[in-house]
Amino acid sequence: MSADQLVFWIFAPIAVAGAIGMLLSRNAVHAALFLVVNLFCIAVMYLLLEAPFLFAVQIIVYAGAIMVLFLFVIMLLGVDRGDDLREPLIGQRPLAVILAAAFVVEIAVAVRAGIGFATMAPEGFDAVNRDGNARALARVLFREYFLPFEVTSLLLIVAAVAAMVLAHRRARAVTQAELERLGLLEPPREEAPSP
Amino acid sequence: MVGAELTSAAVTPTLGLLWLVPALPLAAAAVNLFWGRRLKRAAGWLASAAVGAAFVLSALVVAELFRLPAQERLFVQHLFDWIRVGAFRVGADLRLDALSATMILVVTGVGTLIHVYAVGYMEGDPRFGRFFAYLNLFVGAMLLLVLGGNYLLLYVGWEGVGLCSYLLIGFWFEEVANANAAKKAFVTTRIGDTAMLVGLAFIVWRFGTLDFDPVLGRAGATLTEGAATAIALLLLGGAIGKSAQVPLHVWLPDAMAGPTPVSALIHAATMVTAGVYLVVRSAPIFEASPVALPIVLVVGLVTMLYAGTSALAQTDIKRVLAYSTISQLGYMFMAAGMRAYAAAMFLLVAHAFYKALLFLGAGSVIHGMHGEQDLRAMGGLLRRMPVTSATTLVGVAALAGVPPLAAFFAKDQILEIANHTGRPLVWALGSLGALVSALYVGRLAALAFLGRARSRAAERAHESPPTMALPLVALAVGAAAAGALNVVPEGRLAHLLEPVVGAVPHGEGIPAWALSTLGGLIAVVGLAATWVVYASGRVDHEMLAARLEPIPRMLGAGWYVDAAYERFVQAPTLAAARFIAGVLDARGVDGLVHAIAGGVVGIARIGRRIQTGFVRSYALVFLFGAIALLVLVGARS
Amino acid sequence: MRTPIAWFVMLSGILFALGSLGVLIRRNALLIFMSVELQLNAVNLALVAFARMHNALDGQVLAFFSMVVAAAEVVVGLAIIVAVYRRRQTVDVDDARELRW
Repeated sequence: MSADQLVFWIFAPIAVAGAIGMLLSRNAVHAALFLVVNLFCIAVMYLLLEAPFLFAVQIIVYAGAIMVLFLFVIMLLGVDRGDDLREPLIGQRPLAVILAAAFVVEIAVAVRAGIGFATMAPEGFDAVNRDGNARALARVLFREYFLPFEVTSLLLIVAAVAAMVLAHRRARAVTQAELERLGLLEPPREEAPSP
Repeated sequence: MVGAELTSAAVTPTLGLLWLVPALPLAAAAVNLFWGRRLKRAAGWLASAAVGAAFVLSALVVAELFRLPAQERLFVQHLFDWIRVGAFRVGADLRLDALSATMILVVTGVGTLIHVYAVGYMEGDPRFGRFFAYLNLFVGAMLLLVLGGNYLLLYVGWEGVGLCSYLLIGFWFEEVANANAAKKAFVTTRIGDTAMLVGLAFIVWRFGTLDFDPVLGRAGATLTEGAATAIALLLLGGAIGKSAQVPLHVWLPDAMAGPTPVSALIHAATMVTAGVYLVVRSAPIFEASPVALPIVLVVGLVTMLYAGTSALAQTDIKRVLAYSTISQLGYMFMAAGMRAYAAAMFLLVAHAFYKALLFLGAGSVIHGMHGEQDLRAMGGLLRRMPVTSATTLVGVAALAGVPPLAAFFAKDQILEIANHTGRPLVWALGSLGALVSALYVGRLAALAFLGRARSRAAERAHESPPTMALPLVALAVGAAAAGALNVVPEGRLAHLLEPVVGAVPHGEGIPAWALSTLGGLIAVVGLAATWVVYASGRVDHEMLAARLEPIPRMLGAGWYVDAAYERFVQAPTLAAARFIAGVLDARGVDGLVHAIAGGVVGIARIGRRIQTGFVRSYALVFLFGAIALLVLVGARS
Repeated sequence: MRTPIAWFVMLSGILFALGSLGVLIRRNALLIFMSVELQLNAVNLALVAFARMHNALDGQVLAFFSMVVAAAEVVVGLAIIVAVYRRRQTVDVDDARELRW
């Protein structure tokens, strides 16, 4: 077993375990942390697949930014509330498991029929990754995929604005009467205001 | 044969103005319709001015036409192509010949006077402007009717005047009775109009065109007797409806619900004569059929006697005149049925004058008595309304046929032609009708103007304003002098009309002077008799009427024709409609629809259970679909 | 280099199946959303694996785009969840079923 395979067999089970942990954890924060573990393992897989740039991006964007965002929202909505794990839909869980299993089997069949389980990755990826993966990726991205890249930037701006519009709570004018009722304001006095 | 022999005159500057004759009233109608409320009283003067201008123009154009030689007195003004479908085309053509010239002069002339009168009569009405808009629209449509150079344009005018008639009968629609009368008029005439429309379709089928020249010129050659009869009778159906002949006469007495100027203009002088005009205009088609003209004659004769007797027992002054109008129109149909088209037209012109006069006089009486229309409440108005009474009495004498007023000549000629063409029965019944008309009109005059006042309203009656009195005087002059148009059957009017409608039929019979003397005698005797009964005070006419029951009641109800229609036409129709609506439609058609709808609802009720609203269920199905799709793709490759 | 590509693809499939399970089983909108992220990552892994297999970088570029779009999607999705929570005081997706009929 080569070093690569060893690394794979160390991190692949951790990835699956992380996914299962996320699936089963009652607490949303735990689930998020399990997902971070899983995402980190996937980042390692990218390294094994000779995509060091994506490895970095995966850790920074996913494990870093996105999961932090998730955690923020979880905190915002209240963590102490445990998730209700009862299932009101009859047959939902067994059917879901059956379908998931069927999916795995199907992928297995497809992989077996397509590339076979023993096929190694071809040689010569170094040539593709010449001058380093980041440069090579940049070359492809900014030459062949330049328009999609620009469109994606537009998408990000729209998403940012959309998030603000959706989550922004319009400040409601608070009336004096409400403030008085809450005891935040003393009722107006009879005497003339001080000059 | 007639019509086609005329050659069309070249356009001259004056003749070229022909299109303005209908256009002016129509334009004024548009102005009054949109700005009538703002114009206030000016709306009436604008309307009168428009019709007056149309009259002056008509006079100019007609004078120009009659300057031409007799065989060239035809002018067709092509305004634009209206319909062009393959070989079939209809132009917006105005056709001026002696016949339409007579008609436009009557329509605009009498129309102007009635407009002026209406300015006074409708004073203070909240919908003053709208009234004149409708009135102008009517005049425009009527001019289009008589000037139309083809049957379709005639039909446009025909329906236009029908619409205006409806709008004006129901002008005071706040009263349900008025609205119902308008509806009755519209629906009843519609029966005839539908027949006429079918007739037009027949004409298109047979001739491929609706233009008068080819249709009327080739009528005898193109049509078989059966086809000619069919077309003629269908057209006659329209004429019967529009001219209120038996059996479609029932709407005209009820049409008196409209303002009196409307009754005068539409339901006496002009619109109702459109039927006569149609028969005269379509004479070649009628002549091509062996039975059409006799049917016209019989319809006219029956109507004349029926309506005359009904008029005898009416108590509403306007209903007397309405039945009288029906009766007079019957006379015109009689004349047309005897091919005496010129005599029919002569009576039409004369009748327009004296009947408009009588109606306006009646309107003036009603105005002076603050809305009272019952003859029994009148009496002795001669002293309190001198102008109205004097002019109306001229109209009465004219209608009765007192020589030398208009109807004396007109009726006399019709009776003379009846006698001289070997129709003694027609002559006898016509003379009887003349006596009856003298009786009912004499009764009206005696009850309204002579004797003593029989109500407080009659005692306090006042003379009408000058705008109403002046047209009365003008019409009285016309009614008195109209006879001069055609003193003998082959007189001036007949001569002018000859190129269009053909020569007046003649023959031998009782000498003309004897017939005329008899006619005059009938009128004088009739009037004198009514004076004795109703005004002299020597006879208690109410006792007399009571002793004659149930005849007066039957006559007053118009021989119960309305009741019979209600019983035998209306009630079964309503019952059938109720059956169709309540049973066939509600249970049958709706039942089927409801059953289908119910079935769909039922299926949907079951089907919507799939829609649980649980997103995760949907996701499950979604995933299942995705996997199934992958299996499918995998299995194929 | 020494690892068969099929292993990565199988791992990707397993992770995707687990993500699907999460979507189907969890009722908390946030957890469903995390499961969706897991599915996305599984697909990314497959893309990178295929890039390796074909000796081309397009798969990696696609995975890169997928990450960017996922970031945008997370932002909007979380905003929606927050907005829904504000209105309904719950993030249970089974409660939101007003649009069923």
